[in-house]
Amino acid sequence: MATDLMDRLKILADGAKYDVSCSSSGSSRANSNGGIGSAASTGICHTWTSDGRCVSLLKILMTNACIYDCAYCINRRSNDVQRVALSPAEVAELTIGFYRRNYIEGLFLSTGVVRSADYTMELLIQAVRTLREQYRFNGYIHLKLVPGADPLLVQQAGLWADRVSVNLELPTRESLALLAPDKSRDAVVGPMRQVNQLITVNRAERKQSRKVPRFAPAGQSTQLIVGATGESDRQIVTLSEQLYQRLDLKRVYYSAFIPTVADTRLPARPEAPLRREHRLYQADWLLRYYGFSAHELLDEVSPNLDSELDPKTGWALRHLELFPLEINRASYEELLRVPGVGVRSAQRIIQARRQGHLGIDDLTSLGIVMKRARYFITARGRYAGEIKLESNTLRSRLVDGPEQKRPVQLSLDLEQPLRDETASLITGEL
Amino acid sequence: MSGCYCYDGTLAGLLTLYPHLLAERAAVERISAAPPDQQSLFNSEICIATDQAVAEVFWQHLTRRLSPHSLKLLRRCLLADHPQQELLIYHYLLLEAEQGRRVDGMLAHPQVAPVWKLAQQVAREAHRYLGFVRFQQIQGGLYYAAIRPDHRILLLIGTHFAERFSDQQWLIHDQRHGEGILYDAEKQEWLLLPMEVTAQPDLAPEEAQFQELWRSYFSTLAIPERTNLRLQQGKVPLKTRSCLTEFTV
Repeated sequence: MATDLMDRLKILADGAKYDVSCSSSGSSRANSNGGIGSAASTGICHTWTSDGRCVSLLKILMTNACIYDCAYCINRRSNDVQRVALSPAEVAELTIGFYRRNYIEGLFLSTGVVRSADYTMELLIQAVRTLREQYRFNGYIHLKLVPGADPLLVQQAGLWADRVSVNLELPTRESLALLAPDKSRDAVVGPMRQVNQLITVNRAERKQSRKVPRFAPAGQSTQLIVGATGESDRQIVTLSEQLYQRLDLKRVYYSAFIPTVADTRLPARPEAPLRREHRLYQADWLLRYYGFSAHELLDEVSPNLDSELDPKTGWALRHLELFPLEINRASYEELLRVPGVGVRSAQRIIQARRQGHLGIDDLTSLGIVMKRARYFITARGRYAGEIKLESNTLRSRLVDGPEQKRPVQLSLDLEQPLRDETASLITGEL
Repeated sequence: MSGCYCYDGTLAGLLTLYPHLLAERAAVERISAAPPDQQSLFNSEICIATDQAVAEVFWQHLTRRLSPHSLKLLRRCLLADHPQQELLIYHYLLLEAEQGRRVDGMLAHPQVAPVWKLAQQVAREAHRYLGFVRFQQIQGGLYYAAIRPDHRILLLIGTHFAERFSDQQWLIHDQRHGEGILYDAEKQEWLLLPMEVTAQPDLAPEEAQFQELWRSYFSTLAIPERTNLRLQQGKVPLKTRSCLTEFTV
């Protein structure tokens, strides 16, 4: 029994790991009397795997059997892998066992689609319900919505889970039709729209009465696969911006495409997919926290993000007329646009400068990283960049070059007798 | 004189020393927590005898006078394990005596910045250990976790675990600093106690199975094409791994 469970866990974890959503933040759920667990609004990472990704939730599939045949997916119908499943009770038991040992922050439950979308969705809900009702579990739960599931089931799911998500996977209708012929775009976007409406309504209702149960308090997220089809970064970032603005998504995750199955519809392995994914995340952060909009970062002339420069530095180099910025006068919004200055740094600058003008040295003791920022700011009128503010020279200084080698001593020669001149250098004798 | 002071290493001792120093605005070079029998060895050191009453009055004074932000900062610094934390705090208090609550905003000041930095280190470690505690169920149902943090973060994480695992008996043992938190599920309260390692606990029968499940789950999660051990090591430093189930055999 034990080894059987272990094998199934392995297979189901293996099938779920390409879903990159990891966060456990955004929901603060107190432990109700006598129950177990709580959700911390900041989110807590519990460990990191050898690929450097954090483990926060027990991320598993209910089953890896699937009626769909999506080309990018490891669980596609035509892929020859062993199919296994966990029962809702087993999922609940495993989650509690891990949770009590503080291995995890909660559960991320996804699944392949068996029989029908509704049947599968009901299975997921049953597992989550067991956790919440039988075990009185108040930890974080992220639940996948099955595309095409009944709106009533979607509504139920949001009442049990902290966050719900449907993966868009492919940025455009055309690529979806190419790689996931069984899924329609409407089946994916439909539930997202519905969840958005339900969240908005729920928020309004909860303003009237706190007794109204919360609906998906940590909002909804989605995932885009990058590099499996030919979209440009501009298309992807613009789509994300729309998702944030129109559907009020909490997160859009990007997953660099790694071919898990050979398929003629898929491109050969793209170059540096991880770098591209990293740049997209940087752009995503600029959209959400730094007040940038997609068209500022990318346009028709340069539809893809520069792989050598982070998007903010890239933007700054195109807008050198705005720099250097005097940090003692710049507004918070302006400070956020300085390369190398993040949300915390900007807040600290604002707070610290109330007690007197800041010099360059003060910035260092505030913990501001000057590596990039120094080329774009002045402090008390002094410019610390030491070179002319000119796009090409700046660029050559700012690109993420290969790591510099530091000189090392190869060996200390203790055997060889010292020659006279060396000896005198050391001893100081003449 | 030299400006070297010592106290008995307790919080009360330190809180007796501070009002003494602050009253004279003494120039201090070093504050050390020397055990009493060593006092005679260092003649130049001025040792202040702990006075519980003075300490309590001074603590009351601090809680009234300091802003909540400063108080939080100092509380974290007091829990730090840093060779000069007493001195850093003293410098901060000196400046506070002069400037009052304006110190809150003087982030770049040489008497404030190091305190803030140290407090941040402690807070970061405390947050990291919300995730790095690994309980093992031992015979009799108690959940035991050993940790070896740099700073004495137990007091900062106690509330979190008390709320989360309110229905289970647990114990978090800081083996480095020789103390631990014991939670009593019936009374719903926790206690910080001095603790020593004596023997390995006897594990509950199902414990080994859960550990095995977790290890195999953990190793399955990594995507081989994305391997990045350097990133992993930055997030999970080697010094923390001896207490993490997934990194031990």
